[in-house]
Amino acid sequence: MNRKRNWLVLLLAVVMLAGLIAGCGGKKNDGSGNSGGASSATGGGSGSTDAGDGDLEPITFTFYGADPNPNWQNMQDPVGKAITAATGVILDAEFEVGDPAQKIALIAASGKYPHLISPKGDLGKLVEAGAMLDLTDLIEQHAPNIKKLFGDQIKRLRYSEEDPSIYVIPTYAEVGQTYFDASGGFQLQHRVVKELGFPRIRTVKDFENAIREYLKRHPKDENGNPNIGLTLNADDWRMYISVTNPAFYTTGAPDDGEYYIDIDTYEVTYHFRRPIEKEYFRWLNHMNAEGLLDPESFVQKYDQYLAKIASGRVLGLIDQRWDFQEGENALKAEGKFEYGYGHYPVTLTEEFKETSFWPVGFSPGWGVGITVDCPDPVRAIKFLDFLASEEGQILDNWGIEGEHYYYDENGKRVIPDELVERRKNDPSGFQRETGIGLYHNLGAHYGDGVLDSTGNYYTTNFPEQIIASYNDVEKEVLAAYGAKTWKDLFPSEEEFPVKPWGAAWNIQVPADSELAVLQERMKEITWRRIPEAILAPPEDFDRIWDEYQQELLKAGVEKMEDEYEKLVRARIKLWNE
Amino acid sequence: MGNRLLRSSTVSDRLFDAFVYAYAAFVLVITLYPFLHVAAISLNDSIDTVRGGITIYPRKFTLKNYEMIFSYQHLGTGFRNSALRTLIGTVLGVISSSMLAYTLSRKDFQGRRFVSVFLALTMYVSGGLIPFFLLIRELNLINTFAVYILPGIVSAFNVFVVRSFIDGLPYALQESAKIDGANDFTIYWRIILPLTKPALATIALFVAVGHWNSWFDTYLFNSQAEHLTTLQYELMKVLQSTQSSVDYRARNMNEVMAHISPESVKMAITMVVTLPILFVYPFLQRYFVKGMTLGAVKS
Amino acid sequence: MEAATWTVKKNMTRKERAVRFFRNAVRNRWLYAMSLPFVAWVFVFHYLPLWGWTMAFQRYRPGRPFFEQEWVGLEHFRALFQDELFYQVLRNTLAMSVMGLVAGFVVPIFFALMLNEIRLMFYKRFVQTVSYLPHFVSWVVVAGIVTKMLSTDGGPVNELLVGLGILDEPYPFMAKGKLFWIIVTLADVWKETGWNAIIYLAAISGIGPELYEAARVDGANRIQQMWHITLPGIRTTIIVLLIMSIGHLISIGFEKQFLLGNNLVREYSQVLDLYALNYGLGMGRFSFGTAINIFNSVVSVILLFTANGIFKRVTRESIM
Repeated sequence: MNRKRNWLVLLLAVVMLAGLIAGCGGKKNDGSGNSGGASSATGGGSGSTDAGDGDLEPITFTFYGADPNPNWQNMQDPVGKAITAATGVILDAEFEVGDPAQKIALIAASGKYPHLISPKGDLGKLVEAGAMLDLTDLIEQHAPNIKKLFGDQIKRLRYSEEDPSIYVIPTYAEVGQTYFDASGGFQLQHRVVKELGFPRIRTVKDFENAIREYLKRHPKDENGNPNIGLTLNADDWRMYISVTNPAFYTTGAPDDGEYYIDIDTYEVTYHFRRPIEKEYFRWLNHMNAEGLLDPESFVQKYDQYLAKIASGRVLGLIDQRWDFQEGENALKAEGKFEYGYGHYPVTLTEEFKETSFWPVGFSPGWGVGITVDCPDPVRAIKFLDFLASEEGQILDNWGIEGEHYYYDENGKRVIPDELVERRKNDPSGFQRETGIGLYHNLGAHYGDGVLDSTGNYYTTNFPEQIIASYNDVEKEVLAAYGAKTWKDLFPSEEEFPVKPWGAAWNIQVPADSELAVLQERMKEITWRRIPEAILAPPEDFDRIWDEYQQELLKAGVEKMEDEYEKLVRARIKLWNE
Repeated sequence: MGNRLLRSSTVSDRLFDAFVYAYAAFVLVITLYPFLHVAAISLNDSIDTVRGGITIYPRKFTLKNYEMIFSYQHLGTGFRNSALRTLIGTVLGVISSSMLAYTLSRKDFQGRRFVSVFLALTMYVSGGLIPFFLLIRELNLINTFAVYILPGIVSAFNVFVVRSFIDGLPYALQESAKIDGANDFTIYWRIILPLTKPALATIALFVAVGHWNSWFDTYLFNSQAEHLTTLQYELMKVLQSTQSSVDYRARNMNEVMAHISPESVKMAITMVVTLPILFVYPFLQRYFVKGMTLGAVKS
Repeated sequence: MEAATWTVKKNMTRKERAVRFFRNAVRNRWLYAMSLPFVAWVFVFHYLPLWGWTMAFQRYRPGRPFFEQEWVGLEHFRALFQDELFYQVLRNTLAMSVMGLVAGFVVPIFFALMLNEIRLMFYKRFVQTVSYLPHFVSWVVVAGIVTKMLSTDGGPVNELLVGLGILDEPYPFMAKGKLFWIIVTLADVWKETGWNAIIYLAAISGIGPELYEAARVDGANRIQQMWHITLPGIRTTIIVLLIMSIGHLISIGFEKQFLLGNNLVREYSQVLDLYALNYGLGMGRFSFGTAINIFNSVVSVILLFTANGIFKRVTRESIM
């Protein structure tokens, strides 16, 4: 026994000693490596300014992207070759396969950075480590296309008030995006509205009545399986989309993440604390009590949810199209178009406007930056500038002229039918063959609905095409409601004031901050309490809701709101001064 | 063997037999299900799969999902590296574990306690990701094949498993060898190794499966070295469906969802990854039986 | 015997001990040669990175030199131990791991014993091979199968129970927090029994046939042979595995709990490893994550030594 303890003590001593030695040694190296990298990069930068202009000499940049890109072909695809031909740049790229937060922490800790990097939400770690290059002057001197693309809004690219550097070119935000169709709201199967003679679907009561009435007439489908009134999609993060976000869409508030921001006073409220949202959840509770809500709503996994939709038994949804379309596609593949879904601008009562299309203005977020290890920042910024140019964007969206599209006699860009088919049937194969879309989040770009110098749209989505993609049942339903697209049913962008903070959800909350912890804590409480409240007997709803609110207060929700308000105010100041 | 068969004639023996066979059949059915389920989905049309309800046979048969997977490049390189690391890693792993296990089984070895504790602790303490990454970098193992093999050569778990087997062997065997003038290494090599075959086969399986399934080291250390990629890592790339709560607002989700692998493709990937390693076990199984000859040596 | 050498050693002078040590070392030279390289190896790859534990006492920012990190003392540990949620996840972790430990030993051992009694070699091997297949199926798939089986919307289990008249209407198994631990344990047994039995099967094949021969001569029937020969024959293996598993009681991963869980059973499904991810690494809080890691390690090592000590005294089997 005694001896064992001795061993242990010895062991611990050795370990600690070794730990200290290794720790210091390792860290020392880091430090020197870091500063060395920084100084050499600055040297390289200034050196190449003279030699670099108009230079097409082949150069390879390493790149890390925080998004997966499984179809990457080392730029050996047609679009990639065209980009290399125009810029001389080849990217030796690595795309994320696991958890980007982890990988970027390792990149930051190792002190050896890829030349170009797209860190998504983890930019802060790299800035803190001194890894990122300020792009302000580079853009000014070498990037006319980027300047043109962002125009006056370029000040919104700045990192923060204390550090007004530009670290990334925003490549995820679509500049000037116009939405041609609605993908959210509440959804009802076409067979429901047809059977009921196309009733007005405007409030949750309308929605509820349509479901109730149809269920009364047809409790079972033609195979004898019970029809389901409304099912929700609450598997992990989908909880936001199908359960909690609709609470603000239906009560006149825009999507600002988990917060409601008063447009006049900038006062921030955790949106579940708005009294009106309680009424929305009370309605869901009522739907459950009435037996109209699928009792499995909070238990089912995503694939079960899709399978239910694909069975055609679900009458109503509250979701986004991209989140349920796999299920609907299975129905369409069988020709069951009546079982597809229309989008309706449902709100709690008539006094509210559905806020899906509340405009966010220009709200840059994630993007691509250049690190201090980049041997030739000028060539790098020129590369990014090319991607932001008209030529670069058309390459990325449309491919190569004569190969992937052509101009018809009216000067309109057209994609040959067989390529349209190919893209639809084998999207990843198509992408690997052509390279179209592989460079989308590498370069800054316009969104849908923006015209280029030839009068064509930059992107391949445009209104005519959306209407053409509707099936006959959809067209019939839309006609009955006097609309051409689902979007026509929704309040349009012009009806809302512009928010000076853009989209609050892309305000970066510092990872290692108290706010981040508080947010996680509130999420924990909300995700537990909301399902409990919805599934409770109606007489218990008020009690559970009060307990929920008390729990939030106890966990420090007010502190969280205050902290967040500081961030919102800082952004408003930074963007609008 | 035949002898035992003849003996089972009493009623209780027969009842016992009936129970055993029925129980095994029950296990057979319930453990076959998930795998057949995966196989069925992998052979089913991907749009049809969304409708759910597939059990153990495909409803709309297709090989498309497999075609899609095999259309990716680097799979060959990945397969080669995975096979190579499995082979080398397993051989080294078995040798290191059995050697250490033998020294630890020797009651007269002074360092026994220290080494046991020293080893056992490695199962429960770790410095975390960042220090480990920096260590590997300091050792210049980034972008090398060696990084697949070196860090994991010694597995404490396996050492203790093998030692428990050696402890079960009669010590007299070693004694007699000693008297014959054999040194400790010879005893290990000539006596211990052959006698612990079932144990070695077992840990060989553990090590091999571990090596075959690992992708995280490729991801951490060799992600920039295309020629060092592994099968699992390549398939992880295809499998990737990073959707998260931050993503959905910031992205054109229609675009994103179009590139997410359908369920059927994911299952086909599982099959491609799993099938090669499954054949290791039946191959090793014979050593389990060979251990039976042990008794002969003992007496 | 060991006790004897002990007292002898105690009475020796320092010099005598040194001489004795070296003489032993020379005699054990092969054993040293066969173990020390590996010890050095383990030291490099497992012990050197432990300097990372210092992060728990800092506000670690990646990329900053060691001496420029901000030191915060025990702040992270204080935050951890003051968090109510921490105790909840600890409770869940321990509950599920203890249940998993019991089931994870009893069932595979029973299965291995049963398999050993099958005399049709082909059938035995086939069952054995198939039984380990679920180990290779990911938890995503297994959790999917389990939720579908237990679904109230046409799930086979509910259809069966309703059909047999045991239930009046489908029972929402997955929505009941109290059932969650049991469901996780059963799913784990289903997935891992075959895999965990491998080690016991190997151990069983190491038992000499002459022992069975002798037992039969004494008139033991097969159940008695199983009880008196097979089971004691694999006792060492069982205990060694048990000691190691007890050390792992609080780090059981989070994948299965996460995938089988949902928001209705959140209070029962959250485990320590998921908590560590959500509030540590996943949020970029390396220091807090490391504090949890240290807590984990310390508890594990205490459990390990306790289990080892108890077994050493009670069964005379141990790993250290």
